[in-house]
Amino acid sequence: MQWMTLFQKELLENWRNKKWIWVPLVIILLSIMDPLTTYYLPYIIEATGGMPSGVVIEELPEYAPSEVLLMTLSQLSMLGVLVIVLISMGTISGERKSGVSELVLVKPVSYMNYITAKWVSYLLLVWVSLFLGILVSWYYINILFGTLSFGDFVTTFFFYGIWLTFVVSLTIFYNTLFKSSGLVAFFSILSIMVMSMITKIFHHILDWSPNNITEYIIDTISTGEISKDLILTGIITTALSLTLILLSSQFLKRKEMAG
Amino acid sequence: MTLVTVKNLTKKYGSKIVVNNISFDFGYQKCIALIGPNGAGKTTTLRTLAGLLKPTEGTIQFESSTTNQDIRKWIGYLPQYPAFHSWMTGREFLIYSGKLAKLTKEEATKRAAELLEVVNIAKESQDERISRYSGGMKQRLGIAQAIIHKPKLLILDEPVASLDPIGRREVLGLLEKLKQEITILFSTHILNDAEEVSDELLLLHKGQIIESGSLQELRNKYQTTVMALQVEDEIHDYQTIVANLNHVRNTKIERGTLYITSDNVKKVREAILSLADQERWPITSFSIDQASLEDMFMKVVNN
Repeated sequence: MQWMTLFQKELLENWRNKKWIWVPLVIILLSIMDPLTTYYLPYIIEATGGMPSGVVIEELPEYAPSEVLLMTLSQLSMLGVLVIVLISMGTISGERKSGVSELVLVKPVSYMNYITAKWVSYLLLVWVSLFLGILVSWYYINILFGTLSFGDFVTTFFFYGIWLTFVVSLTIFYNTLFKSSGLVAFFSILSIMVMSMITKIFHHILDWSPNNITEYIIDTISTGEISKDLILTGIITTALSLTLILLSSQFLKRKEMAG
Repeated sequence: MTLVTVKNLTKKYGSKIVVNNISFDFGYQKCIALIGPNGAGKTTTLRTLAGLLKPTEGTIQFESSTTNQDIRKWIGYLPQYPAFHSWMTGREFLIYSGKLAKLTKEEATKRAAELLEVVNIAKESQDERISRYSGGMKQRLGIAQAIIHKPKLLILDEPVASLDPIGRREVLGLLEKLKQEITILFSTHILNDAEEVSDELLLLHKGQIIESGSLQELRNKYQTTVMALQVEDEIHDYQTIVANLNHVRNTKIERGTLYITSDNVKKVREAILSLADQERWPITSFSIDQASLEDMFMKVVNN
């Protein structure tokens, strides 16, 4: 099956260029950074020579497990998203620029197969990395800050995975528009920033914007009930991701493979 | 029977016309050379035929295909500077290419092994990463990936332009072998290469086909036989005599040699030899040469 051939090639490529090693490690590192530094902050301050003279902190704030989880997700939303954009920014644009896509797409390859094989391979990498990252974060939160149920872990992993799916889809979409990987990264990050700004400004209208997903995950964990808003935001985000992939296939089909 | 029919093909980039209303066709098991100087529109024509560029106007018909059919399964293509997944080995890339062309895993593996032999990639290099291959090896691997699915038409863009003499000889030898089984359309600006392996020629100049036909047909049409005379004395004294002979069209002296073109070689040759015998010309060399493809090309362009 042609799709499997393309998919296996993507997996092999990501294995040989070590993405399967360093991406999970980076995501794990980002995920545990806040739980660990927050918990060990007094020790860190002490070990680094204490506070400057005159500064007195009576008591460091105590954090609820859901608050620490929010810190982890915030970290992933900034640096994690950046890492995902960087690993996928050249997946199509790079092949078009180097000319490899000429050799591939001159064969009877379906454009949809070409795009979705890349998309799924990056989703697999991102979801596996996220699973490990959230799992380790959940473990430390449970040990250091208090109980977070397994259900909370699954909810966080699943719905945050949907947000990262959107990030991958957006990057793939820009890959079909530009030949320069730099431009792909720039427009992907710009789009996420603009979406975030618009969501903040029009928060009262844009209830189900993908950028709200983190907020709804934390609400769900705090209340213990999966909110309708989270489900609808998840559905909208998935639909947007699928639309971006469909559009990518159409755009690539219309593009001339040779410059 | 016709394999490919190109009708009124035009390709524009903005207002710039790169290929201008060209039409041609060719049949099976031929080796056709698309000849033209750099910038003539060769690459654009080949990329359009391979489906990598969309024609601005005109049609390309493959056998009796309709425009909606995906003709890529019948075509093998190698660009001038092929780019590979250099992290793959030569064998892996061929199997990957075969599977993309819808061969089964077993078929692709078997065909890859065959082709690695055909294109003469040494056993120890077959499982090495492509990043370690030389230019000639990459070019031969490129040809192998282009024919892995046994296409009816193999399109090669300047297949030997970037190779050293050894690599060039290997690839031309390979084309000579392949043309027994497959139709080859290749572009070149090196006319000796075209002369060596092609059966038919398409001469492209400024985006237009200015001449086409078999090498022999073109030779007959544009035949310019050149006689070259060298003597021990001052050659200019003989130029005036030869120029006044019947059927002599033109004479010129280059580096001590008198070149004579004529519309009747036989008569001029006899006249010169007769004069030389009577007048005891101190001839050191007298030869008759066919015009090269390069001369013909220049003549067609000038016309």
